[in-house]
Amino acid sequence: MLSWIERFVSSSVGRKALMALTGLMLIGFLIAHLAGNLSLFAGDEGAAFNAYAHGISSLPILPIAELALALLFIGHIALAVKTTRENRRARLIGYQVVSTHGQKTFASQSMFLTGVTVLIFLIKHLWDFRLQKEAFEVDPFDSVQTALSDPLTACVYILGIVALGIHLSHAFGSAFQSLGFNHPKYTPLLRVFGKVLAVLLATGFLALPLYFWLGQGGSN
Amino acid sequence: MKLNLKIWRQKNGQTKGAMENYELGGVSSDMSFLEMLDILNEQLISEGTDPVAFDHDCREGVCGTCGSVVNGQVHGPDAETTLCQLHMRRFQDGDTVQIEPWRSTAFPVLKDLIVDRSAFDRIHQAGGYVSVSTGAAQDANAIPIPKNDAELAFDYAECIGCGGCVAACPNGAAMLFTAAKVAHLAKLPQGQPERERRVLAMVGAMDKEGFGACTNHFECSAACPKGVPIDAIATMNREYLRATFLSKEGV
Repeated sequence: MLSWIERFVSSSVGRKALMALTGLMLIGFLIAHLAGNLSLFAGDEGAAFNAYAHGISSLPILPIAELALALLFIGHIALAVKTTRENRRARLIGYQVVSTHGQKTFASQSMFLTGVTVLIFLIKHLWDFRLQKEAFEVDPFDSVQTALSDPLTACVYILGIVALGIHLSHAFGSAFQSLGFNHPKYTPLLRVFGKVLAVLLATGFLALPLYFWLGQGGSN
Repeated sequence: MKLNLKIWRQKNGQTKGAMENYELGGVSSDMSFLEMLDILNEQLISEGTDPVAFDHDCREGVCGTCGSVVNGQVHGPDAETTLCQLHMRRFQDGDTVQIEPWRSTAFPVLKDLIVDRSAFDRIHQAGGYVSVSTGAAQDANAIPIPKNDAELAFDYAECIGCGGCVAACPNGAAMLFTAAKVAHLAKLPQGQPERERRVLAMVGAMDKEGFGACTNHFECSAACPKGVPIDAIATMNREYLRATFLSKEGV
C-alpha cells in the first residue's frame, strides 16, 4: 500500500528532492534564527536578547518545534550520507587527471565536507546553549558573552559559519533544480539570490562571535 | 608534431590496468584525434604489440560511439564536440596528452579505452520510447506543437548516448542521459500517454545500474558533445515528482 512512498524515498531523484525540501526549510529556520540573534546588538546590555530568549523558551509549542527541527536536520544529514556513499561507489576508480568543464565549483564539490563542518559546529553550539539550558536561561546574554569570549569556541563558531556560507552558496539554487524548478526567467535570479542570501546569512552570523570575541560585547 | 601520449591500457575487465607512455611523431595538425590514435596503432602493430582499443564508428560526431577523457576533459577540450571531431590543431608539439576511459562503476572497462555502456541500453529499454506504432509520418501540421516545446524537445533529443555526462559528473550520475529521454518525450504529444510510467521506470532502471545521484555540479551539460541543456534534469525531477504524487501510476 505504501510501496510508492518507499520507492520515492529510495530513488535518487526522490532522495534529492527531500534533501532540497529539508534544506530549504532549514534555510527558513536560519533566517528566523539570525533575526532573533541580531537582538544581541541592541546595545541595551542584553535586555532585548534576554526578552527574546525567554519569550522563545516560554512558548508552549517549543518542544514540538524543537522536535520538528531535529527531524529536519537528521533527515537532511541521513539523506546526505546515503547520497554521498552511493556517489562515491559510482566511481571507485578515479581519473589520473582531474580537470573541469567549468561548471563545478569549490562549494558544489565540498558540500559533504562543509556539511560535516557545520554539524561539528552545531554539536558544539547545542552543547553551549541548549544542553546546558538551565545555566543559559539565568542570563542568556551573559551566557552568550561568556561562551563567545573563549577564543576556541569563537574559532569553532567562525569556522562553522564560514562552512555554512559556502554550503548555502551552492545549496539554495541547487535545491530548486532538485525540486524540478528550472525556468529561464527565474533560475538565473534564484542562483544570484542564493549566493546573496548565503553571504548575508554568513555575515550576520559571523558578526556575533567576532563581536564578542574581540571584546566589544556588553560590559567590558 | 610530436606528442607524449599517456594511455590507459587494460587487457580486459578482470585485470588491473595502468597508464602507459608512448611517443608519437609525425602527427599532423589536420588529423582528427582518432586518426592520431590510428597512426599510433599502426606503429604499435608494426612493432608487434597490441594496439590501443578504442570505440569509434561514424567519425562524424553523430553516432555516440567514440569518447575518452583527454587530459581530464570528456571528449577533450572543445565544447560540444565529440572526440572524433576533435582535431590535433588543438594540441602543440611536445604536449603530453593523457587518455583515459570513462570512469563509472556502471560502465566497466572492457579493454583499454572501451567501456561497456549497456547500462544505457537498459535505461532506454525501461521506457525511452513511445509504444504505439504511429504508422507513416502524417501531415506536419496535424498535431500543433508550440515552437518553444518543439525546439526544447529537439535539444533533448540530440542526445547521442555517448556516456560523456556520466564520465564528466563528479558523482558518476546518468541523470542527463536519462533526463534527455524523459524530457524529450514529455514535451511532445506522442509522449503523453506513457509520460508517468516512463519517468518512474527509467529512473528506477537508472538507479539499479549503480550510477550516482545528481548534486547539481552541471559538469554533464558543459561536457555534453550535443549541449543537452541542464534544465532537462529539472524537467525529469519535476516529471518524477508529478508521476509520484499526482498520478495513479506505480501505486
